[in-house]
Amino acid sequence: MQQEQTNNGGRSRANQTRKGMLTNLQRGETLLEARGITKRFPGVTANDAIDFSIRAGEIHAVLGENGAGKTTLMKILFGQYQPDEGQIFIAGQPVDFKSPLDAIELGIGMVHQHRKLIPAHTVIENIILGHPNAGAVLNLSRAEDEVNRLCEKYDFSLDLRAKVWQLSEGEKQLVEILKALYRGAEILIMDEPSSALTPVETEKLLDSIQAMAESDLAIVPFITHKLPIVLRISDRVTVLRRGKVVSCIDTRDATEKSLAKEMVGREVLFRVERTKIERGAPILEVENLSVRSDKGFIAVDQLSFSIHEGEILGVAGISGNGQRELVEALAGLRKIEGGKITLEGQDITYANALHRWQAGVGYIPADRIAMGSIGDFNLVENTAMNYYFDEAFSKRGILDFKQIRELTTELVEEYDVATPGVDVKARTLSGGNLQKLILARVLSRKPRLVIVDLPTQGLDVGATEFVRNKLVEAKQGRASVLLISEDLDEIMSLSDWVAPIYEGRFMGKLPADSTPREVVGAMMAGIELDKQGAAT
Amino acid sequence: MQEFLIRSLDASTIFTIAALGELIGQRSGILNVGVEGVMLFGATLGFITATTTGSYMLGFLLAIAIGGLLGLLHGFFSITLGGDQVVSGMGIWILGFGLTTYIGSPFAGPLGLPRIPSVFGLSPFFFLGIALTAIVWFVLSRTNLGLRIRSVGENPVVAEVSGISVTKTRYLCVVTAGMFMGLAGAIFSLDYNPVWAYNFVMGWGFIALALVFFSMWNPIILIGGSLLFGSLWQVSLNPQLLLPDLMSRYIWRTVPFTITLVMLLLMSTRWFRTKWGATKPEALGQAYVKEG
Repeated sequence: MQQEQTNNGGRSRANQTRKGMLTNLQRGETLLEARGITKRFPGVTANDAIDFSIRAGEIHAVLGENGAGKTTLMKILFGQYQPDEGQIFIAGQPVDFKSPLDAIELGIGMVHQHRKLIPAHTVIENIILGHPNAGAVLNLSRAEDEVNRLCEKYDFSLDLRAKVWQLSEGEKQLVEILKALYRGAEILIMDEPSSALTPVETEKLLDSIQAMAESDLAIVPFITHKLPIVLRISDRVTVLRRGKVVSCIDTRDATEKSLAKEMVGREVLFRVERTKIERGAPILEVENLSVRSDKGFIAVDQLSFSIHEGEILGVAGISGNGQRELVEALAGLRKIEGGKITLEGQDITYANALHRWQAGVGYIPADRIAMGSIGDFNLVENTAMNYYFDEAFSKRGILDFKQIRELTTELVEEYDVATPGVDVKARTLSGGNLQKLILARVLSRKPRLVIVDLPTQGLDVGATEFVRNKLVEAKQGRASVLLISEDLDEIMSLSDWVAPIYEGRFMGKLPADSTPREVVGAMMAGIELDKQGAAT
Repeated sequence: MQEFLIRSLDASTIFTIAALGELIGQRSGILNVGVEGVMLFGATLGFITATTTGSYMLGFLLAIAIGGLLGLLHGFFSITLGGDQVVSGMGIWILGFGLTTYIGSPFAGPLGLPRIPSVFGLSPFFFLGIALTAIVWFVLSRTNLGLRIRSVGENPVVAEVSGISVTKTRYLCVVTAGMFMGLAGAIFSLDYNPVWAYNFVMGWGFIALALVFFSMWNPIILIGGSLLFGSLWQVSLNPQLLLPDLMSRYIWRTVPFTITLVMLLLMSTRWFRTKWGATKPEALGQAYVKEG
């Protein structure tokens, strides 16, 4: 009853002051304030009396691990969830959002991590979708003019007639930003703004964010990791842990270490010890490998490389430069166009995926939910997926579930997978725990070659640290590791060798400890540095 | 020969209108495989109404109304209940097949009304078909409503976040789709072949369904497909007109269906999809459940 009344009250108030509520505020004035926000879900209090405020022209980062309540808070601020307790104020007036539409109308925009765009439609169609002034018959040229003016104001460049599927991740994000701005957003909530972006694109994004803050927009990036970004651009940081605000400080008083400690609740080692071990015999040898993409063009172009025993080769690149095709070709999931793949002297060029597993290849796919696990299977069944073909676990086609269960229990313990038991469905696990489980079942096979694609994407600081250490452990166990990542820090800190990939070719193979980061970043963008002698 | 061409155009018109309806529904993400059932209902009830009241107008109106109602039914199963759209569509076909046979058989025989006058030697529905195609094309590609429909069919989550009611949009589309199909059925039974007989729509609904895939969801290409199938159908009725003694008329009769089958097989191959790009609405056939 109570809830209903406040909702109705808020609605009518919101209606009276709708639009323009935020337009005349001066820099530094409080745009939005949330007081005592509490949201409970069965079994958890996702947000526990959270206080939060944003001022005009401010970049206010919200930091927290997965499960800290970040997403819940974000959804409450954007009207996707309604808080159980607490109140949101906009420009000092209490408001209640019944749906994202209410939030949008009051000047709140959201830039999603998993882009909410329609790939088959053009940029401009995506931007005007759902816009109240779009008109019954679309006037695309007028809309284009208006969006172009926004682009000029913030120095963005984008082809508005291009189809969204043709765009890079950075450009797609720009489309989301423009969509929010075009709808009159004064507060921009950004979910993991720099994930999936290249270093160059990240730089551009940070510039754009600063440009927007300059013109008095408030920006609220929600970030799980990438603390350097928080330090670089934000004015204030709010750190969440277990649904509570543990600190809200000016960024200039924070350091990477102090923030990580607040987030995790303990000291975090940022550097994974890169132990160099003696170079052994080559494990994986690839000669002139060419692979086609789904769309039919050559995605991996005459690639030749080798990985030795006890080595991590980090393939750094912007997604869509052939990494996926390379990995799938090596794992036996994609037909190759030409070339030769050898594993410890054994030709596996035409071996199928199962033979490769048996020959000692371990593959950890990038998409843990769609490719790495079956959500409706429990943990035992998911573990069985890498063991069903082992004599020890299946006899004449009948699985020995007792043994697999024992194995799963051991793995869950050893890899610190937080779960109520091994009988829960895999989709109830958080991203980090699911990744740990997949890592456990692959690495426990003691593969000779580990192929890992984006191992820490979307993971929080704690889980990331864990996964990275496990990969280093595998290397110390004399496996060879092919690491695909878009995160330059990850590549630089884990790999022995770095191979920047650009349009299906390696731009070089560089020793990780003596190559400057910037060089790798530039090579990922396709800039050849050999001529200038900058790279070896 | 002229007669043959006119009849081909008449047949094409019916294919076009039924397929246009299906196209609208599919662009919003709702697949209705029961086109045949809706057409049977429209044709039979339109026929009965016209023959008992003597009014063509009433016959068409009732056919459109029953089409809309069946669209609503399909919508209820596939949107509100989130059920399997193929199952619901098949149900509508079987229901239409059984029920119209039962209802219609006492009225078997000719309509017994003067033929609908032709316009410039062609059926007036031919012009209606062209007009409807132009309208559907314009609405889908040039209007806000069209953008909303396409968005809902591509990605309902994105549409919902952008402030569009997926449920309303989809209902609007399935109901409109049903009305088109009902109308197509009535044109069949009141104009093209005004004689009621058992299963007289003869699988045209299925051809219309295939035409939507054939058209790659583009109303303009749809007209081309309809013309092709319309002529093929006429050839299959009188093969000796064009190609005397080539094959038995019974084999000709299977040609439109064989082509449909081959077309659908071809379109489901990877080769076809890479060659022509992904034009299929991404969310076609998928129920949408609101988050939260």
